Amino acid sequence: MKIKLIIGEKEELIEISENKTVKNLLDIIDIASETVVVKKNDFIVIDEEIIEDGDLIEVIQVIYGG
Amino acid sequence: MNSCDKCGNPNIIIKKKQSGQKLCKDCFIKSTQNKVLKDIRKYNLLEKGDNVLLGLSGGKDSVMLLDILNTLKKRNIIDLMAVTIDEGICGYREEGIEIAARNAKKLGVEHKVVTFKEYFGMTLDDIISKNNVKEGRRNACTYCGVFRRWIFNRVARDEGATKIATGHNLDDETQSIVMNYLEGNIQNLTRIGVKSETRSNRFTVKIKPLREIPEKEIALYVVARELDVHFAGCPYAGESFRAEVGNFIKELSKEHPTIMYSTLRGFDKMKPVLKREFSQESIVGVCENCGEPTVARLCKACTFLTDWENE
Repeated sequence: MKIKLIIGEKEELIEISENKTVKNLLDIIDIASETVVVKKNDFIVIDEEIIEDGDLIEVIQVIYGG
Repeated sequence: MNSCDKCGNPNIIIKKKQSGQKLCKDCFIKSTQNKVLKDIRKYNLLEKGDNVLLGLSGGKDSVMLLDILNTLKKRNIIDLMAVTIDEGICGYREEGIEIAARNAKKLGVEHKVVTFKEYFGMTLDDIISKNNVKEGRRNACTYCGVFRRWIFNRVARDEGATKIATGHNLDDETQSIVMNYLEGNIQNLTRIGVKSETRSNRFTVKIKPLREIPEKEIALYVVARELDVHFAGCPYAGESFRAEVGNFIKELSKEHPTIMYSTLRGFDKMKPVLKREFSQESIVGVCENCGEPTVARLCKACTFLTDWENE
């Protein structure tokens, strides 16, 4: 299935398999979930949220470490 | 079933690892505000009539604190003024200043921008470029911390502020405890706390109302409240020992989600003993160069400046 992924200024359509959670997606794109807030279709969601076909996922980097 | 523990709303935005509590957006915002206001009362951080000077960088911590302290201003409990320090970090600080100004303006809070350049004749970038060629150099955070504290104290006195409020969060405070312990800086440990104790009437009392709120929850709060925030990392922060310790604690917290709370609680229990055993009751005088309070002939800021002049 396809989703739209927004990270900062970057926006892209990506293909992921079904029944993936937000946490699974963050692991795939190698972003630590402790450092971001994620919105699905404009609403903040938790790591366990299931992603569905056509979803708009926005990853907001909120914590900048060393 | 994932639904809000307070109102049953199925759209939760947080499941706290440390407690298991699940909250929807509105209940999370409300419970976070209540926690901060409760801590302000519990630790007597503010009194009616206080004139509070808030350090407003435009980052998430200070913008959240502005949002909450403004509720006390609106209820005529405190007066509030915000100050942004422009250290002179090219390509980083400019946006934060604009965001800080917008936030203050939106809430009708008086706002002032002060610079390292106007007080010390040089920016942090200047200091670091000087410092790179020198032996025994310190990292940027050391200079920045010393000069920022100097400016806050000076501006607070000039403005007649009775309290300086900063947005230090649970992660910051835990890092300070672990860092100073690992480095054996027991004197510094005796000065860590939610509220500074005055050793001189030339020092304005500093308070940290967000000290028990984890950084991640502050981030979630500002996104949930749709506040205008400068999300960026200081280019110098990565060099610091603080960053190393911070990464280590974050890593530990993944499997031990209560570790920052227990570090803070344990430290607060030990602090009276540390103070009794290790606090130096030095006589606080004034710096013979700038008049700021110090236990030595020159304050730390003037010591750095004089060293550079003599090079």
